[in-house]
Amino acid sequence: MNETAHRLRTAAPALALVLVALYGLGFQLQLPRAFPSDADYHAVAEALTAARASGDVVLLHPWWTERARLFMPADLPVVGYLGDTADDLVAHPRIWVLANERLPRTPTADFRANFLPDRTPIGESRQFGPLTLTAYRNGRSRPVLLSSIDAFDRLEVSVEAPGGSPQPCHRSGSRVLCPSDASVEVTWHEVLYQPVRCLFVIPPSGGRTLAIHLPDAPAVDSLLLEAGITWEHAWLPGRSDIQLQLESPAGTLHLRVPGAHEGFFRGESPASGPGPWTLRIQTPNPQDRQVCVRLRGLGAAR
Amino acid sequence: MSRAPTPLDRRIALGLGVIAFFVLWATERAVGFVRDESVYFAGAEQFARWWSLLFHRPAAALSDPVISQAFDFNHEHPMLMKSLYGWSYALFHQTLGWVRPAAGFRLPAFAVAALIPALVHAWGSVLWGRRAGLFAALSFFVVPRHFFHAHLAAFDMPVASMWLLVVYLFWRAEEDLRFAPWTGVAFGLALATKHNAFFLPVVLTPFGVLAAWRVTGEAGRNVLVRMAEVAVGFLAYLALLLAVLGREGLVQSWQLLSPQTLGLVALVVGLAVLALRLRVADAAAFLKLAPLVAMGLLGPVIFYVHWPYLWYHPVDRLAWYFDFHATHVHYAWTYFDVVLRSPPFPLSYVFVVTALTLPISLLLPIGAGLVRSVLRSLGDLVPALGRRVGTGGATEWLLAVNALWSILLISYPTVPHFGGVKHWLPSMPFLALLAGREFDRAAAGLSSVLQLAPRRAIAASIGLGAVVLLPALTLTVHVHPYGTSAYGELAGGIPGAASLGLQRQYWSNNVTGVLPWIDANARPGARVWLHEVNGLSFRDYQRNEMLRKDVMPVGGPEDADLAAVQYHQEFREQEVLVWQAFGTAIPSTGLYLDETPQVVVYRRPER
Repeated sequence: MNETAHRLRTAAPALALVLVALYGLGFQLQLPRAFPSDADYHAVAEALTAARASGDVVLLHPWWTERARLFMPADLPVVGYLGDTADDLVAHPRIWVLANERLPRTPTADFRANFLPDRTPIGESRQFGPLTLTAYRNGRSRPVLLSSIDAFDRLEVSVEAPGGSPQPCHRSGSRVLCPSDASVEVTWHEVLYQPVRCLFVIPPSGGRTLAIHLPDAPAVDSLLLEAGITWEHAWLPGRSDIQLQLESPAGTLHLRVPGAHEGFFRGESPASGPGPWTLRIQTPNPQDRQVCVRLRGLGAAR
Repeated sequence: MSRAPTPLDRRIALGLGVIAFFVLWATERAVGFVRDESVYFAGAEQFARWWSLLFHRPAAALSDPVISQAFDFNHEHPMLMKSLYGWSYALFHQTLGWVRPAAGFRLPAFAVAALIPALVHAWGSVLWGRRAGLFAALSFFVVPRHFFHAHLAAFDMPVASMWLLVVYLFWRAEEDLRFAPWTGVAFGLALATKHNAFFLPVVLTPFGVLAAWRVTGEAGRNVLVRMAEVAVGFLAYLALLLAVLGREGLVQSWQLLSPQTLGLVALVVGLAVLALRLRVADAAAFLKLAPLVAMGLLGPVIFYVHWPYLWYHPVDRLAWYFDFHATHVHYAWTYFDVVLRSPPFPLSYVFVVTALTLPISLLLPIGAGLVRSVLRSLGDLVPALGRRVGTGGATEWLLAVNALWSILLISYPTVPHFGGVKHWLPSMPFLALLAGREFDRAAAGLSSVLQLAPRRAIAASIGLGAVVLLPALTLTVHVHPYGTSAYGELAGGIPGAASLGLQRQYWSNNVTGVLPWIDANARPGARVWLHEVNGLSFRDYQRNEMLRKDVMPVGGPEDADLAAVQYHQEFREQEVLVWQAFGTAIPSTGLYLDETPQVVVYRRPER
């Protein structure tokens, strides 16, 4: 017995090395089985083309598997960014989750904790090589009755100074240009890794306030206001807050985006009758407080 | 025990070096030009022109304005490697036309990197035998990130080589006085390679002094105490000058005849005189201290002489050099889903990244070797531990300290953490050495258990080595030439690292993966935005025929027909700006390593 134990102990380092090496080789040999082929992606695209409906969206899981973008139908939005499992995807009643759980360290726990609540699978999942396509009813979706980016052409924008009369802004191409270096346009930007098409606002300098006025908003069940500082400007230390104030028939909603906050800050007002909405934005450091604003009027939960 | 390798091991070391050189050369063509490398290419070319001027018009070349003009570019780094790159380019590309421009620059980098397997084998074979030396040498080279960095005409791998060379020569010089001046020369060359080398005296001085203290008697120890007094006196003098003049004043008032120079001369002369006295008093103690003396005398001289930029303005330019590296900017770096932008950085960062980027079959012997080395070293201090795990001695300490020094230095939370593993590469050859010992123990144990005859034991060792090295080799082959993206099995490979939220890549060289597509699909004269690829690299891709010469670089997506975006978490905005400029979020192609986006290419839709 002692002899066996001694022999085992003597051979243990070599055994350990061999076992670990075999694990390494096995891992490398297995890994390619987790990679979908182009044909797998084409088949997914065909399935989506056949089954898609207005308002659908594709969510990638894990979030970084963006090779799928090369193959997806051109007009079907594809969402894949760090943190996307927590995205309510408000405007999308149905979510197609394109998952590859054969990939190592796929963040399944995050998916369960953040994506699955309020989402119900619709029908059976379909398998395309290592890819799984599952449709989910999005319990967090709401009808979007009005979106500020869709209503961009109707927005009236001005700059207000304390004690002075509002100075109107003017349209130049696709932008609204204002006094005090302020501007508003609809563009794509990143807010904490999330690509967003939003009202991109550079607030006015000199302590002035940018006022964005929509004269004829419909009745809505709630107003959802989201604002986030774009890209790396958000983390810059020592910068000031952004103050937002939304006036609507439902009342006034205040939102403060703290100076060092990365990501969207959200506020929601109660139901509002038809009438004008006015959003006011003000900050002492406008040049590095470039802010992405989404203002949506939502209907009742489905 | 002699510290000299056997003649056969010297030949094996030489063979390993030669093989490494040719393997690097043979695999060089696919490796992209990292952002800094093209700057060094340009610097090397410029400096080569100065050397040519020196040859033809020495008086003009040696004037202050000409030197300043020639060497002002990229004076963040000293000149040794850049000079070698420039001379090699001038000879092998421009004059002989044997190689493409990039290979012309890179040949010296291959040669210097090839020193590592050679030295590791030479050292390892003496310490633990040929089997250990061979395994250690190979295990360093088959790590994907090491293999990648060994290709670059940069400074990270060269300074790892130089660090190893200095420590190895120091170790040899502790036994054989003939190696002392070579230690000094090597230290000078290390200083001339990269600023990491300024830490070498900090690491090696305790070893030399303690070794001398141990072997000498009272007379010798008195001299050593006097040397310490001189050193402390100098530090006190320096502190006084700092207090009186301030940091700025100390630098600005430093001239040839100044209190600062007086203090420095007094230090050097004082230590030199005392070293001579030690030699007279106790030759054995002097032997231990001799490499340090050589380093102190030759290192600074070589550093100064090799860099013309310092000749006329040594103090202020040196001060700038140190200041630049002491206050280096922090580049954004992704670590477990968090973009690190400023200190303090996580203390565990270096250890974790090392563990996740090493192939697991090498991580095991490296980790075990480090643990054993640390325990045995501590066994010298704690007898109870020593009885259990053995004691190390000076060489064990030397290996353990050098294996940990760069790792611990970069672990300090305010030291810049960008750059993957390249900033602590000087630790890695020592870790490979320690892995060699673990492999030797394992192979010896296997032979013993199987009661193998010597020939069969050799065969078993070769078989075991092949099995252990194979996963690392296959990983390296698989990821080449995209070494900055490499992750080991512990991370789950490249896709696992993406899910863990680790830095996807850095330095922009992965753009080579999409250049063939751009060449095939760009219209004539197309305007191309290669995100994060600087203008010099763009030019280098064109002159090395990796990118068509008719396409034009532009500075952003607004002006571009084609855009190739590097996938970094901190650059997500850049890709979104391409969507905005091109009116599409659908890429045309990309480099997707094991499914992970690395470089994503967009084409502006036809109007």
